[in-house]
Amino acid sequence: MTYYLSRTLLQLAVTIFGIVTVAFFLMRAIPGDPALYMLGDFATEASLQALRARLGLDLPVWEQYLLFVERALTGDLGRSVVTGQPALKEMLAALPWSLSLAVAGLLVAVVIGVPLGILSAIKRGTWVDVTIMFIALLGISFPVFWVGLAAILIFSHQMGLFPALGASTQPGFWVQAHHLVLPALVLGLSVAAYIARLTRSAMLEVLGQDYIRVARAMGVPEKRIFFRLALRNALIPILAVVGVTFAWSLGNAILVEVVFSRPGLGSTVLKAILARDYQLVQAGVLILAAGVVLINVTLDLLYGVIDPRVRQG
Amino acid sequence: MTARNVIPGPFPAAARPREEARPGPRPDPRAGVEPTLDLRGVTTRFPGEDGPITIVDDVSLSVRPGETLAVVGESGSGKTMTFLSAIGLLPPPGKVVSGQVLLDGTDLLTLSTEELRRHRGSGISMVFQDPLTGLNPVFTIGDQIAEVLRAHKPMSRSEARRRAVELLDRVHIPDPTRRVDDFPHQLSGGMRQRVLIAMAIALEPRVLIADEPTTALDVTVQAQVLELLAELRDEAGMAMVLITHDLGLVARHADRVAVMYAGRVVERGPIEAVFDDTAHPYTVSLFESVPHLDSDSAADLRPIEGQPPNPAFLPAGCAFEARCFLGRGREDCLSRRPALGAAGSGGHEAACHHAAELRKGEGRP
Amino acid sequence: MTDVATDTAFDGDALRDREGARRRRRQAVRRYLTHPAFMIGGTVLILLGLVAIFAPWIAPNSPLKTNMSLILAGPSWEYPLGTDQYGRCVLSRLIFGTRISLQVAFWVVTISLTLGTFIGALAGYIGGWIERAIVVVIDIVLAFPGFLLALALVAAQGSSLQSVIIAVAIAYTPRVATVMRSVVLTIRPRPFIEASHAIGLGHLRILLRHVVPNAMAPVIVVATVSAATAILAEAGLSFLGLGVQPPTPTWGSVIADGQAVITTNPSISISAGLCIAVTVIALNLLGDGLRDTLDPQMRRQTGAKML
Repeated sequence: MTYYLSRTLLQLAVTIFGIVTVAFFLMRAIPGDPALYMLGDFATEASLQALRARLGLDLPVWEQYLLFVERALTGDLGRSVVTGQPALKEMLAALPWSLSLAVAGLLVAVVIGVPLGILSAIKRGTWVDVTIMFIALLGISFPVFWVGLAAILIFSHQMGLFPALGASTQPGFWVQAHHLVLPALVLGLSVAAYIARLTRSAMLEVLGQDYIRVARAMGVPEKRIFFRLALRNALIPILAVVGVTFAWSLGNAILVEVVFSRPGLGSTVLKAILARDYQLVQAGVLILAAGVVLINVTLDLLYGVIDPRVRQG
Repeated sequence: MTARNVIPGPFPAAARPREEARPGPRPDPRAGVEPTLDLRGVTTRFPGEDGPITIVDDVSLSVRPGETLAVVGESGSGKTMTFLSAIGLLPPPGKVVSGQVLLDGTDLLTLSTEELRRHRGSGISMVFQDPLTGLNPVFTIGDQIAEVLRAHKPMSRSEARRRAVELLDRVHIPDPTRRVDDFPHQLSGGMRQRVLIAMAIALEPRVLIADEPTTALDVTVQAQVLELLAELRDEAGMAMVLITHDLGLVARHADRVAVMYAGRVVERGPIEAVFDDTAHPYTVSLFESVPHLDSDSAADLRPIEGQPPNPAFLPAGCAFEARCFLGRGREDCLSRRPALGAAGSGGHEAACHHAAELRKGEGRP
Repeated sequence: MTDVATDTAFDGDALRDREGARRRRRQAVRRYLTHPAFMIGGTVLILLGLVAIFAPWIAPNSPLKTNMSLILAGPSWEYPLGTDQYGRCVLSRLIFGTRISLQVAFWVVTISLTLGTFIGALAGYIGGWIERAIVVVIDIVLAFPGFLLALALVAAQGSSLQSVIIAVAIAYTPRVATVMRSVVLTIRPRPFIEASHAIGLGHLRILLRHVVPNAMAPVIVVATVSAATAILAEAGLSFLGLGVQPPTPTWGSVIADGQAVITTNPSISISAGLCIAVTVIALNLLGDGLRDTLDPQMRRQTGAKML
């Protein structure tokens, strides 16, 4: 277990270092002068100079890189060109909004997707399976922002059940929760569709294993086979699925935040992109990627709990 | 393990070394005893694109208490499917379309799913080929044995665990009280097969079907596992079916043998009769495809030419005709499918138009 | 055995082989034709392709021409799906939008498949520290949500059809590479590859002659999945105003335009969303059909890794 833990943590360090590097070079992908890009064509030469100096653009690339890594590791992700605030601070202000949306969405996705996927696998080939898989196919095929618009149209404008805005200016848990329902459902259902499809195939794969046939040959009842024996095996690929879909749902969350005019990392990044506030974009991308990495590490540790082979390396 | 080096040559019987271990043809001590498991005319089909495909065709086999029946044939000959049909574990969409599977007189094919489940494990049990994949990797072996026990009898956790330790001891796993909490990956292949055998005999079934139980194991372990199976059979008076393609195993461990080809039994009988007085060309070819360890030259090894026929497109005549040294291109072999018929004494039967010719020693390659 | 018997037997063999081959081909064709998902998906995609190619002839109006006297009009003979807030024909914009979506799908699949296959096959085939390095890099890129990466890349490069294609392709190439690597890893230990080494075939030839053809089945399935992903990503970028720039008609931008008037004229956004959904459903059906028909063993590896 110690070996497993240290290996996971080493991987974490390498990956964090890697995403910092990618974030750095993402900024280099801007053709021409990043300072000009940020300040626009009407910037004065003096302000361009000042920005270049502040960003370290006058240094050789490798020095810029080292500087960027050094700063990033100490938590300095630069400043927003627009507001002058530290980028990290802006992002941390948006974080609770995104976190609550991501957690609520993931909850919806797992609570709906996993049981439906398992049910579909157990009832393989029956109308139950066909129906669930058809709905899941629809779920992964409609663009999430369109589903969001449709939800607003139906549940806010026509039925008046939930607010069209994904956030309220009023504080208070219940007020905010009420505003969170639609965005979380929209985000969660699209992910649930993926999770259901992938859970089904994970479960089917486990059900096809030799040890399941052995259990059947020994007369173990089907219920025990599905819900005790197979489920624990399928949990590993299902967790992997949840990990993969989490990264993917953060991408979708940007669209959901925009549709519901909800503050958050995604909409902050988008605003920064439109304002050409590239340091802010960089900071946002970095924090989102770090979130994905943290989730994956958590899942890796969970595999160790479930699977004795992983635990013992 | 000198025993390994005694895979029988085909014929004549003169130097068949299995007689070192078990001398001479003997009178059948179990004549007249009712079979524990009796398959009668079992026929299994899968739906195919051009109509149903018959995978098991009118197979009749029986095995009596304390006896080992070997079922041999190439892979795809339907030997495993026959017994999966018997215990109701055919992969879908396969179906048994006719026949009876009598377990001490009860026809398993007429039972409900739940009634059949109760018989599996307790009345009829099975050990599969690959011990590496047969155990669930995320449960301890004690858990897995307990799962089988508790599937059939209400039993407390501690009671099930105590029984699991006993069973591990019974299959000669050293230090069972400690091993019971091991996960499968902590055990060697041979140990895992012992665990699977422990699961299979946990409820003292009357029939144990062992489907190539030693193929995935190395030679010394193979012998130990087979000795264990024989020991358990003799102690409990269990009937045993040994599915294999290893004729060496058949010679050393079986009392009777059935040879299957393309879903049908083509020859069956007491082991001595089938080995010494082979009456089907396919059986002859099987013997010849086995290496003789008394000669180093590979020249003696004669693999069976060609492929087994596609079960979806079986010929009208004998299914072995295209590969047969004796009947290839012959009129009757092409046009008529041979039925099982008596070939000698003691219930020795073969399904070949030219069995008599073969037994006289004619037409051999 | 007589010579005559041997001869007829040989003839019989030849006959059996020829018949067998023909039968197998017939069966394969029939498997496709009787697979409903494959047929529905394929038919819809062919129709969409025709719509894209013949858009100028099919569309009742110019997708760009504004008619200020007919703003937000309801359906009519001239404007079958009505007009948007600039008086443009919604149906014509949707018909021309097919072109952008299918172009993006086509080029993203071509680029990410070529690059991803090459990188993944290289990693899986060579092994050793090169494989480990490639895997680490891929894992790092995979930590970035694909859509976010595409968004940032488009933002950096400026919005155009070309940069949308490049951004989406780059964002999804590591996913294709992951699938390819796992496919190659399952092929690598197969005996025929070792045999090829033994008889001294060069690495590149082995890669091209044995590894790549064997990986074709999963690659085709991956292609359909990434086409679907690309269409959704492009629509998302257009919706955010970062895709192909207005007034070029794209499905995503029609939804965005319709959003402003969604309470009064919901049909604009709804119809564009249905266009996207129908295309993506067709691609997914085609992919599911191919997966069932080509190779039942690869069910899991693709899909999960493509998100």
